[in-house]
Parts: sequence; C-alpha cells; structure tokens
Amino acid sequence: MLDIKSLTIASRNRQIVRGIDLSVRPGEWLALAGESGSGKSLTAAAIGGLLPGSLIAGGTLIWRGCEVSKLPPAKRRRLLGREIGYIFQNVQGAFTPFLKIGKQMDEVLYTHTELNRSERIAACLEALADLNLPAQKVYSGYPHQLSGGQLQRAAIAMALILKPGLLIADEPTTALDSLSAHKVLRYINAAQEKHGMSVLWITHDLRHVRKYADRVAIMHLGEIVEQGNAADVLTHPGHAYTRRLLAAVPALSPGAVERPGDNPPEAAAARMEVWK
Amino acid sequence: MWRSFGKKLLGLLVFVLFLSFISFCLLKLVPGDPVRSMLRVDDVAVSREDIADLRNELGLDRPLLVQYGAWLGKLLRLDFGVSYMTYRPVLGEFAEKLPFTLLLTGGSLLVMLVISVPLGALSAVYRNRWVDRFSRVFSLIGSSLPSFWLGLLLIQLLSVKLHLLPPMGGGSLAHLVLPSLTLGVAMSAIYVRLIRSSLLESGGQDFVASAKARGLHPARVFWFHTFRHSLVPLVTLLSESLGSLLGGTLVVEILFAYPGLGKWIVDAIVARDYPVIQGYILFISLCIVVLNLLVELSYRWIHPQLGWKGR
Amino acid sequence: MRTAALPNLKKRMYPRMHQWIWMTTLPLLLLAAIVLAPLLTPQDPYLITVGDRLLAPSEAHLLGTDHLGRDLLSRIIAGIRTTVGTSLLILACSLLIGVTTGLLSGFIGGLWDRLFQRIIDAFMTLPDYIFAVILSGLLGPGLSNLLFAVIAVKWVGYARLARSVALQEKEQDYTALAVLAGVPKFRIVLRHILPHCLGNVLVLAALDLGKIILMIASLSYIGLGPQPPAAEWGSMLNEGQVYFTAAPHLMLAPGAALMLTVLAANLFGDKLRDRFDVKTREEA
Repeated sequence: MLDIKSLTIASRNRQIVRGIDLSVRPGEWLALAGESGSGKSLTAAAIGGLLPGSLIAGGTLIWRGCEVSKLPPAKRRRLLGREIGYIFQNVQGAFTPFLKIGKQMDEVLYTHTELNRSERIAACLEALADLNLPAQKVYSGYPHQLSGGQLQRAAIAMALILKPGLLIADEPTTALDSLSAHKVLRYINAAQEKHGMSVLWITHDLRHVRKYADRVAIMHLGEIVEQGNAADVLTHPGHAYTRRLLAAVPALSPGAVERPGDNPPEAAAARMEVWK
Repeated sequence: MWRSFGKKLLGLLVFVLFLSFISFCLLKLVPGDPVRSMLRVDDVAVSREDIADLRNELGLDRPLLVQYGAWLGKLLRLDFGVSYMTYRPVLGEFAEKLPFTLLLTGGSLLVMLVISVPLGALSAVYRNRWVDRFSRVFSLIGSSLPSFWLGLLLIQLLSVKLHLLPPMGGGSLAHLVLPSLTLGVAMSAIYVRLIRSSLLESGGQDFVASAKARGLHPARVFWFHTFRHSLVPLVTLLSESLGSLLGGTLVVEILFAYPGLGKWIVDAIVARDYPVIQGYILFISLCIVVLNLLVELSYRWIHPQLGWKGR
Repeated sequence: MRTAALPNLKKRMYPRMHQWIWMTTLPLLLLAAIVLAPLLTPQDPYLITVGDRLLAPSEAHLLGTDHLGRDLLSRIIAGIRTTVGTSLLILACSLLIGVTTGLLSGFIGGLWDRLFQRIIDAFMTLPDYIFAVILSGLLGPGLSNLLFAVIAVKWVGYARLARSVALQEKEQDYTALAVLAGVPKFRIVLRHILPHCLGNVLVLAALDLGKIILMIASLSYIGLGPQPPAAEWGSMLNEGQVYFTAAPHLMLAPGAALMLTVLAANLFGDKLRDRFDVKTREEA
C-alpha cells in the first residue's frame, strides 16, 4: 500500500539516505530498525513530506497507487492525519502544551472531516476510551496533567482518530519505562487488529521486534542492508551489521528481564532533532 | 490562586506607598520653591509676609513627616489635593488628561504590533532572505532613531508637505495618527527582532512538528501553535517596556502639543506644582504595578501548565 | 575544589590583550572627538553673524548656518562634546556608583541589603525617562542638573546587576575560603567579585550608551538641557524645527548626527555582547 522507491535524502553537503526501496503491505507491522543516525527517522519524515527545509528528498513515494511526492501541498496535508497517522518518541512534544488535549484532537477532526461539534466530541471521547483512558478527564485536561504513558496513549488515540491506513510510529517507546512501553505497543497491536491498518515502526531497539513486528528492515548508514520476516532475520541474521546490532541488545528472549532506563531521555531529545 | 493574588496585590500596594514616601522626600529635598513660582505668576512685588502666609496656607512650613501624613490622610478619602497652578482638584485634572494618554498608548501599541508581528513573522519564515535582512536593518536604525526627530520629520512630510494630517493638538482620531506612528515605529524596532527569534525558537519545538504531522493547515499551525507559544516573551517584553512607552509619550505629547498627561506633568514640574507631581508619580507607579500584575495573570492563560507563581 | 580554578577564572574574566584593543576603539574615538572638538570646528560655533542667517549648505558653510548665522557644521562638532561627552560622563559616574554600591550591598547583606533592594525596586518601577524629566525639571534646566538627573536614574541598573553577581559569588566556596583566610572584605570584593561582574556590566554599559545619548538629546529637546547658546544636538533640533521649510538642514543635520552616533554605539554594544556571549559559551 506504500511503496518507497529509491528514496534519497540529502543535506547540502551530505547524502544521508542513499536510495532505499521499501514496501509496507496492507495490515502488516513493519519494523525499520537501525542505530541513531542511520536515516530511519528521516525516511519516516519524508513519507509525510515533513523534512526540514534544509534537506532535499528524491525518489518516488507511492501511496495506494498515487504518487505522493507529486501531490500539491493541500492534498498532501489531507493525506496526513486522514490516511497516515504519526506518533513520535517525545511524548511531551506530541501535544502543544498550552492547549487542552480535547481541543487538539478536535482540531484534527475539524480540519479533515465535516462532522459537527457534538459528533466531533463523541468521536474524540470514543477514541480516548478505546485506549482505556479516562476519556472525559483526558479530553478536558492539559497535556501536563497526564503521565508519560497516558500521554503516549492519547497521542495514539489522536493519530488513530480518523482510522488511517498507515500508522508511522517513530520510536514511540523510547522515552518510556519498559512497562509503559509494553503497554503502548500492545495498544498499537490491538488497534491494528481492530482497524486492520499497517504499522511502520521505527526503532533502534530490537528487543520488542520479534514479538510485535511481522517484518523487519535493517537500516545502516542510509541503506537498507537486510529485510525479511522478523523471526527469520532475528534468528538468522544475514548481514554482519544485523549481527552486531543483535549483539548490542542486552537480552533477546521475550521473557528476559529488561533494565529500566536503557534509553536515557537525552538520547530521546537528540533523536527528535530530525523532526525540526 | 486568588489568595496568593490578593497577597501579591497587598504587597504591591505597600510598595507603592513606600515609593510615594520616597518621592515625597525627594520632592522636598530638591531646591526650588513652589511658593515663589506661584507668586511670580502674579508679577507683583512679593513681600516676605506674602510668602510666609502662602507657605502656611499650603502647609509647607510643617515638618516633612507631618506633611506626608496629611497627604496620606487625604489620599484615603481619594483626595489628591489641589493643583497650585489651576486651583482645581488633581484627580479631576488627571481624569481629564488620562484618556488622551491612554489613547496614544493604545495607538502606538497598535502601530507597533501592526509593524512588528508581520515583519517579525516574515523574517522568521524567510530567515536570512531579503525580508530578514530588511528587518535587521529596520530594527537597527529604529532603535537608533531619536523618536522626537522622527516625529518632526513625520510632521514635515505628512502634514506640512502633503497636508494629510493635523500636525498638532489632540481630540480627533486624525490627531492620534502621527504621535502613535512616531512612538510605534520606534518601539517596533526591538519587537521585530524579539518576535523573529522567539518564533524561530517556537518553530523548532517538537509539538509544532507533531501539529504539522497531523496535516493541519500551515496557517493554523503557525497562529495557534507556534505564535501562541511565542506570546510569552512578547508579553514579558511588553510589560517591561510599558514604562518606557509611558516615558516616550511624554516627549511625543510635547512635540505634538497633545493634551495628555505628559504635557500636564512637564508644566507642573516647571511650576513646582507638588500635589500634581506627587499625584502623577503615584498614578504612574500604580498603573505600572497593576499592569505588571495583569501581565502575570495573562501568563496563566498563555501557559496553563505554569500555574500561579506566588513570589 | 573551587579555589584551584581561581587563576583560570581570572584569565577568563579579564579579556585578553587584543580584545582590549578593539573593545576600546569606539570609546577612544569618541574621547578623541570630544577632546579635539574645538580644534576640528572649521569656524567658531558661537559666532553670531546675523547677515548669514539660515544659509543653505555651501562651500563656506558645509552644512549651512542656523537662525543666528552660526556655522552648523561647527556647532554639530561642538555638540559632540556636550551630547556625547556628557553621556560618557554619565555612564562613567553611573557605573562607578552603581557597581560600588551594588557589590558592597550584595556582599555585606543583611538589613542594609534588604533596604537597598527596596530602593532599587522603587527606582526601577518608575520609568527612567519620566523620572529623569521630573528630577531635571525640578532641579532646573542646565547641563549639570541634567547630568545629575540622568545619573540618578541610570546607576540603578548597574547596582542591580552588580548586586546579583555579588550575591551569587558570595555563596561560592572560594569567597568563604578567602574570608576564613582573613583577607580584608574590601580586597575580596575588589579582587574576586568585581572581575565576575565586569563583563556583564561592560556589555550593559555599551548597550546603554545609545540610550543615554537619546535621553539627553530628548531632555534638551523639551528644554531641560543646556541653555542657549550651548551647542547640543537635541536643543539644536528644538531651535531648528521652526525653520524647517526655509532651512531643512537645521533639522536634518543634528538629527542625522544623533542617529549615526547612537547607531555606532549600538553596533559596538551588539558586537561586545556577542563577543562576551561567545566567550562564555566556549569556555563553559
């Protein structure tokens, strides 16, 4: 449903993503893994046309048979939010701090649909309730009144409110403790089963990949070095880099104890730089 | 919240009283004598008895603290005394002049916002392009321009040469244009750069990227998310420059013979009209203190997560 | 632990030699213009020649003459001394008074410091320009009264800055150590605390110079400055405005001189601020 063909991203003096090909199939969960600076987050940004002005993207993006990069800006914006939802790593940055969460969800509905006010409120409350949040309280609350895990779930609710065909999750769990991280991934999983959407999951951490992802693509220095069935790639890594990445993971078995604080918040902040 | 607000208000009132005491002492310390300047107006020979009589009548021969106490006592009954020059109550004269100055202040704020918000926003969006370079030069020149000179040039150009606007006086909207323009242009010099830099800072925030990723219209993202976030430094600077704006109205009012507080107080100073000066200082400091309080309240609206910061 | 860093701190707070050179360029140029002003004037700025009233710029009078037939260029050059010279003097006095009282108050602390803080707050509440108008108006017109009034307004900013630095540095271990070692208080303030606030104070002063020049000019414009026949840019504008249609140079020249000087001062202040910011960022 989304085909990326020879995508390149370059800054003025350096090529960061060097012609990658990637397809997201309907209803699948694709993990795009790689270390910081491999260009995976930029790839995610390029899909929505959200690259900073200093970076230039090349190649073609085809969404449901239509070439996205040639769409006029207004049509491309319609795609965002309606058909492609984003969630980000920095949960604090998901919502504008001085606007009530309900207001911000309402804004999305107001922009992309013709629903009237009471229908919009009902849709927001339903979306929040779907993620087991106290809907009314979250709807009329400010972002700072929620915990990190709640915020990320509210962000998912907002990204899913228009039932997009593709959810792009850019390291959604990196800033969370591992219990909340699991919760968030389970909610994405549940939503996927309910709506049948595809998920493009950007991660640098291979620990959860086997459990949640159907397929995995490994990215290294702006190129995809290996992709395939998640279980296959993780058990029989074909590329030397994948093996190194796997070796860096503390524990791969699903039941293994995870150490909290593996991903310090500074790293999270640094990762978000890509989006500015 | 309202309790800490009340506490703050009370503290500020005490502070204003303290300020009025200092200014009272200062007024008495400086050389010069209102009695002499009052009697000189009549332009007749002044005897020593006349001076002593008038001084006694005005209570100027009593000890300083007694005078201050008397002034405070009257103040409680909202009596600011009587002007030595016009023999009219200070409060009444003040109420007469205040609207003019408020209009001028509002007008120049409007001019400032109309100039600096678009220019600052454009130079943030088109950073390092010609708009940005223009705004840099504009603000550099604007902050070096003597406002009264700008006013003189505007009078020559717009009213003497082109006959578009009345050069002097007050009372109509047309009279308000030139003074507001003079003050507004000078003020916008700082604001353009502030708005530019704070918009750049806000535009780099994660939540702006998120808002864009939701497919919102760029104008909506800009005004409701980026610009709103930039209001904090803007409002802070506004509260800081209110004082200098009031000071600026002083010169501009004299320049344009505009019948506001500024002209009133300069005349009063020259005549050593103590009740007027003392009242004016009290009014101005009250105005500034109250406005600062309002600004702090507005932070609660701009940044709900900050809450009420009780000092 | 902190004391070990002392030699470095000193090096950091006092700018290095070549920086001193360019930092002092503008002040030196201004000083030179002020000292040499009488030598630079092509004609006597106070010589009244009624026959030459309101002459347009010509070879004999490069900027023309004013309503009393005085050479405008000479008056503008003479005005450097009154306008800029007075501003520099005000700046120097405010710096001296503000920094000394601020440092001492912050360092001594206690009841005196609390009272001092209140006084600073009181001064800060009243807009400086309004305060200056009231003071100089009450003192009466004249250059020395103007000087006094503006100093009375301006010293507060430096006092506040110096006080906050002193309060900060007082908490540092090295100050406590110096006190324990029996170093006289005055010496501690001078050798250890003063260098810390010098950079900030100098930047503030450079950025203030333009404001002071503008303040003096506008005070003289409304008639509170030096009295005729003194050459001062603000009062020259006041005298010249009546003759604008007949002799526009009377208003354009002093205004332009004023603007260019303030522009130069502002540029210098900006540069100084950037330099100091860069320094602190590099070494932090």
